[in-house]
Amino acid sequence: MWGSDLLEQNPDFYKVFECPWTGEKVVCVRSLKPDYSLIHVQEADIYGNARILGPAYQDWLMSRASGKVILTTERIVGTYRMQEEPKLTAIPHLLVEAVVELPGGAKHGICYPEYLTVDFDLHKEYQKAVKNGEVPKFAEKMLEGRL
Amino acid sequence: MEYGKDYGKEEMFAAACIREIQEGDNVFHGLASSTPMVVMKAAKELGKDFNYVTLSDGLDHDWLRPPYSASTLTENTYIGSVATFGLDDIFDLFARGQGHIAFLSCLQIDKTGRIAMSVLGGPDYDHSALRGPGGAGTASIVPCCPRTIIWKCAHDTRTMVPHVKFATTTAAKDKSMTLITPLCIFRKAPGETEFKLDSIFPYTTIEEVKENTGWEIAETEVPVLDPPTAEELAALKKVDPNYILGYEF
Repeated sequence: MWGSDLLEQNPDFYKVFECPWTGEKVVCVRSLKPDYSLIHVQEADIYGNARILGPAYQDWLMSRASGKVILTTERIVGTYRMQEEPKLTAIPHLLVEAVVELPGGAKHGICYPEYLTVDFDLHKEYQKAVKNGEVPKFAEKMLEGRL
Repeated sequence: MEYGKDYGKEEMFAAACIREIQEGDNVFHGLASSTPMVVMKAAKELGKDFNYVTLSDGLDHDWLRPPYSASTLTENTYIGSVATFGLDDIFDLFARGQGHIAFLSCLQIDKTGRIAMSVLGGPDYDHSALRGPGGAGTASIVPCCPRTIIWKCAHDTRTMVPHVKFATTTAAKDKSMTLITPLCIFRKAPGETEFKLDSIFPYTTIEEVKENTGWEIAETEVPVLDPPTAEELAALKKVDPNYILGYEF
């Protein structure tokens, strides 16, 4: 972060400390602790164990940082899937508050390997809805499959 | 090779970027970075032995799968990867000093390598005329990256300004920074604090570069970079049949 004007701009977020071992000055960034994370996954069981079968981005970190996690999932699978290969469970149930089965839940974005391209027309609709303050209406249409 | 017939500014720009990559490098490009994506795929096709990391989590994906969109977050930079290595891993890699090149872009840049990615214009940060994307890793990676490459597909006085008011990051004094535009290459060597004009492309002149740059250029004579080779052009064509390279120009 050295050389960034963000340090001065956000003093509550960035602080310079001395490294206790080397004495070197280091920039520390305050940790984020969201109340909730909403994470869409390819597979989850009814207890909230979740597998991320494509790029995970920072979902793993978000699930650990948040107070509560709400999962949406392409499909609900049996817990045996997790027991077969526990290492593939990216988010364990003890971190998860709720699981919602929602196929296509990442649209208009992508969810590898379920759907691979951003739906740009839908993205434009979404942008329009944001501009016009009509996101609830947009969401309603999405959920009813009318978009 | 003849400009306008065998190659355009896009191919020259890409060839200049490809030549920056050295054997053994760990090379990163960011989000919305279709140009370096094509560059890095072509460098792989040319047989350069380097490691390709990016935000899609993929490490050394199958570079022969043609990109069909300018997005760098599709499965195109993931399928065929040998491992997943996400952005958090990439930040740590650079912080440990094991990253070599980061291809990053900007809204504005000045001669001292101050880079605007957060805000532009307006009286202050909270009342800016334009709010930018922030540049994900720019502020974190630049201070740790030995050879940052700023790729900018437009060369004009709107983006290359005398002074960047609010810097998301600044070139680190002890590291090198290279700025590649469709006209030329600027370099800031480790230990120095300002860009110097390093070389120009075959189809331009120092005068044209000066006219389109918002800061004073002291250099009066610089080398002209070789045009793209037949091999470089063939590699670009092979990895990018849908010509995603042209998207940002």
